Amino acid sequence: MAKAHFQDQIRRNNVLSFFFLILAFILTGGFIWVITVAFGYDPFFMLIIASTISIIITFISYTNSSRIALASARAYPAEGAKFTVLNNLVEGLSMAAGIPKPKVYVMPSKEINAFAAGTKPDKSVVCVTEGALETLTKYELEGVIAHELSHIKHYDIRYITIVTVVVGLVAIVSQIMLRSLFWGGIGGRRGGKNGGGDFLLIIIGILLAILAPIVLRIVYFAISRKREYMADAGSVQLTRNPKGLINALKKIEDFYTTKRQTKIDKSVAPMYISDPHKIIKKAFSTHPATEDRIKALEKM
Amino acid sequence: MIGIIILGILVILVVLFFIGYYNRIVVLENRIDNAGSQIDVQLKKRADLVPNLINTVKGYAKHEKELLENITKARASVVNAKNLEEKAKAGNELQKTLKSLFAVAENYPQLRANENFLHLQHELSGIEDKVAYARQHYNDSVLSFNNIVEKFPSNLVAGMMKKDGKKYLEIPQEDKVVPKVSF
Repeated sequence: MAKAHFQDQIRRNNVLSFFFLILAFILTGGFIWVITVAFGYDPFFMLIIASTISIIITFISYTNSSRIALASARAYPAEGAKFTVLNNLVEGLSMAAGIPKPKVYVMPSKEINAFAAGTKPDKSVVCVTEGALETLTKYELEGVIAHELSHIKHYDIRYITIVTVVVGLVAIVSQIMLRSLFWGGIGGRRGGKNGGGDFLLIIIGILLAILAPIVLRIVYFAISRKREYMADAGSVQLTRNPKGLINALKKIEDFYTTKRQTKIDKSVAPMYISDPHKIIKKAFSTHPATEDRIKALEKM
Repeated sequence: MIGIIILGILVILVVLFFIGYYNRIVVLENRIDNAGSQIDVQLKKRADLVPNLINTVKGYAKHEKELLENITKARASVVNAKNLEEKAKAGNELQKTLKSLFAVAENYPQLRANENFLHLQHELSGIEDKVAYARQHYNDSVLSFNNIVEKFPSNLVAGMMKKDGKKYLEIPQEDKVVPKVSF
């Protein structure tokens, strides 16, 4: 696993992003189509409106993704003598990774966590929490930052950005459809063809609208967990010191199991080094269990 | 007819293969140059900080004349080094002398309280890390380059381009101590 070349990974990320967009388009288009047909509207017209709106929203969120992520974390730029060590670490590790130095931000929170965002290496940011700076030793911090830099180097950040935006968008669209269905159902159907056949279509539409975001999320999470192992491997490749990341992961796990609180928004959780939300269902977790990650690291 | 088509396809494949490897080799070689210049930048930064450091230390530690002279000498050989290999070696030497200076500084409480000295110490230890990272990237880049130059069939293209494997940068002795990792 650690041997996989990062060029291959970049290619895989691009292909996966593409297929994910296609899948999202088919699923969303599918339920919009079914529901509009069920109501007797012109499905083409609705589809054109829906896709125009989605493309605009996707584009805006995509180009502003790092700003959105930083804003949701209330992060401030790491400037001044206080953050010399942090800036030096990021600069040095970017050198080792052969990428331009990303902008460094700090999130005012006692939690121990970090994330990377952006669409490509020369437009990327790394953000760590104040808690991580206080609690982690230099080697642990090095492991964490190297993990984030591998996400940047492998273009994981772009993939995660696309997916986060699309999953959010599909969820919104399906909500709107379900709601309009509800109101439409009460107000009586205008121009509806008449009973019977429509009922089945409406049921299918509702099912699709409910299932689409769930299917997308499961597909996404399955791929996302694999990516974390790759970034862990990439981190060790940069630091040549698995112990640092192992200890950092232990401390993070420890923090979230004892404190059980987080300010990190669920929608941006996939971007972080460790998912703060203790979600029990494995299929819905963005990150592999910390023990599994540590086991894989110890084998290196 | 079929024979000509097959021949044509084969020729196109060979040309594509050649172009692909040719470009790959060029990219990898440029990456080594870029990595080398990154090391260079850090070494130069360090050399620039040294005179300032010596001036600061002079006032407090009058008995360390010999050590300061050694540092000045080591710095001069970094500045005068002609190629990257020499420069890196001289840089390692300078690193060593600086380390002993910071060790000696423990004996001068007033020096340790000097803000300028502390700032320089931080700066220099940051540079030390960066030199190590940059050297790692350099050696990683050399590894990818050497792989493509030596592996079949890319070695055929490399032979035509008259490219040979490159040398790795030496890692200073004390860095070679493998960190003790116990699981």
